[in-house]
Amino acid sequence: MGAVTDDEVIRKRLLIDGDGAGDDRRINVLLKSFTKWCNATGSPEEGFTQYQRMLGTLAQCEFSMGKTLLVYDMNLREMENYEKIYTDIEQNITSAHDKISECKKEIQRAKRIRKNRQEYDALAKVIQQHPDRHETLKQLEALDKELQQLSHIKENVEDKLELRKKQFHVLLSTIQELQQTLESKYDCSLCALLWQDGL
Amino acid sequence: MGPVEHLHMSVFSQSFSPCGRFLAAGNNYGEIAIVTPVSLSAPLTPLVFLNFLYFSRSLVYSLSAHEGPVFSLFSTDTHLLSAGNGEISAWSWAELIKRVRPSSLEIPEINAMTVNPTENSLVIGGGDNNIHIMDLESGVFKSVLQGHTDYIHCLSVREREGEILSGGEDGAVRIWDYRTGQSVHCIEVYKYEECARPQYGKWISCLTTESDWMLCGGGPSLSLWHLRSMSPTSIFPLSGCQRQANFYQDMILSVGEGQCVSHCLLGGEVKAQIPCTPHSLNTLALNLNSTDNRVLTVGGSSHQIDVFTNLSYRTFSLSF
Repeated sequence: MGAVTDDEVIRKRLLIDGDGAGDDRRINVLLKSFTKWCNATGSPEEGFTQYQRMLGTLAQCEFSMGKTLLVYDMNLREMENYEKIYTDIEQNITSAHDKISECKKEIQRAKRIRKNRQEYDALAKVIQQHPDRHETLKQLEALDKELQQLSHIKENVEDKLELRKKQFHVLLSTIQELQQTLESKYDCSLCALLWQDGL
Repeated sequence: MGPVEHLHMSVFSQSFSPCGRFLAAGNNYGEIAIVTPVSLSAPLTPLVFLNFLYFSRSLVYSLSAHEGPVFSLFSTDTHLLSAGNGEISAWSWAELIKRVRPSSLEIPEINAMTVNPTENSLVIGGGDNNIHIMDLESGVFKSVLQGHTDYIHCLSVREREGEILSGGEDGAVRIWDYRTGQSVHCIEVYKYEECARPQYGKWISCLTTESDWMLCGGGPSLSLWHLRSMSPTSIFPLSGCQRQANFYQDMILSVGEGQCVSHCLLGGEVKAQIPCTPHSLNTLALNLNSTDNRVLTVGGSSHQIDVFTNLSYRTFSLSF
C-alpha cells in the first residue's frame, strides 16, 4: 500500500516537475537551508542573512504558487468560455439548418409563383393578339343597326311591290272585262248601226 | 458485348422504380439494365469519389429482355413494363429477374406506353396507327382508338379530364376521351405558322401534359399549348428535333437532337443548355419518387447514361 502511494506520488511529482529545475528544487533547497539554519553554529549575522535568504526563497515560492493559482483560474474560465462558445455555435448551426429548410420551402413557393406568372403571361400574349372586346361589341352593334335598317327597307320595298302588283292586277282584270263586254256587244250594236246607215 | 456493339448502342427508354432506388434502361439490343442506388446517389464518400474520377462505371445487372429493341419502359407500383417489337413483358420490381407475363401482340412496334391510373389500364401506342387499351389486371384488350393516319410516337394521359393524348408521325396531336373512345380534338401542329418547321417535317415525337398545358415537339418546334383554348402560347427556339420533354417545377427540361439538355422557361426563352456525352438524346427520366436520390438521367445514341445530381451539370455517367 505504501509502495503504491509512493509510486503515485513519484509519478505526480515527475509529471509536475520532472526535470529538477524550478519550484520543486526551490522547495528542496529551502528545506535544506532551513535544516542547515536550525543547526547553524556560525555567527548571528550569518544566521540572520541565512534567515533573510530563506524568507526570500519562501517569498519566491509563494509568488510562483500564486501565479500557478491564477493560471489555473484563468484556465477554468477559458474552459467555461469555450463551452459557452461551443453551445452558441451549436445553436447557430441548428438555426441555420432551420433557416435553410425554410428557404428551401420559400424557393419552392417562389418557383410555383413564377410558374403561375409565366403561364399567365403566356396566355396574356395570346389574348393580346385578339382584338379588344369593346371594339368588337361596338362593331357588332353597328352591324346590328345596319341589319335592322336594311330589313326595314326590304319590308317597305316588298310592301310597295305587293301594292303595285295588286293595282296592276286590278287594272288588267278591268281591261279584260271591258274587252269581253266590247267583244260581246260588238256584233249586235255594229249590225244595228250599219242597218241604220244603210237605210 | 464487344466494342463494336458498344459503339452502336442507343438507349431508347428509361424508367425509375416506384421506391426511387433503381433505374431501368432499355437499349436497342433488347437489354434492360437495372442500376442500384449506390451508383446513383451523390458522390460524397471517398470510395465513390474514386469512381467519379473515371466518369464511368459498370452497371449491376443487365437482362436480355427482348429480341428487338426496347422502345418503351414504364413503371407501375409493382411492375416494370417493357415493350419492344410486338411484345410486352412485365417484370416484378420485387424480384427483378422474374418475368411475370410476356404477351405477344400483333402490334408491330410499340413506341409508347402509359398507364391510366383511374381505370388501371395500360395505353399502348404503336406502329399500326392505333392506340390499344389493355386492362392491367386481366391482360385483356378493352378497346382500340383509331384515327391516326401514321404511326404513333408518344402518349400522355390527363387523369382529371379523363383524356388520352397521342402524337404521331402524321403530325396530329389527337385528344381522345377514353370512356367513349372518340377523338375529341385533333390539333395539327404543323399547320400553325409559328410552330412549323417544314425542313424537319411534321412528325410529333414528344408530348407531355400538366393540368391545362401541353408541350409538344418533334418536326415542328417545341411549343407550349394551352389546352382549354387550343392555342400555342410559347415557341421554344431550340434547334434540332426534341424527343422528350418534361415539366419540372417552374422549368421545362427537354432533350433531343443536340448534345445537351435544354432548360427552358415557360415564357419561351431557353435558360440553359447543359452538355452531356451522347450526341443525340432519346430519353430523359427524373427520379421524383425518392427524396435522397433526386437525379435526372438522360440516355441516347451512346452506351453511356448521364446522371445529373444537380440539374446544372453532369455528375457522372453510367455505362452498359
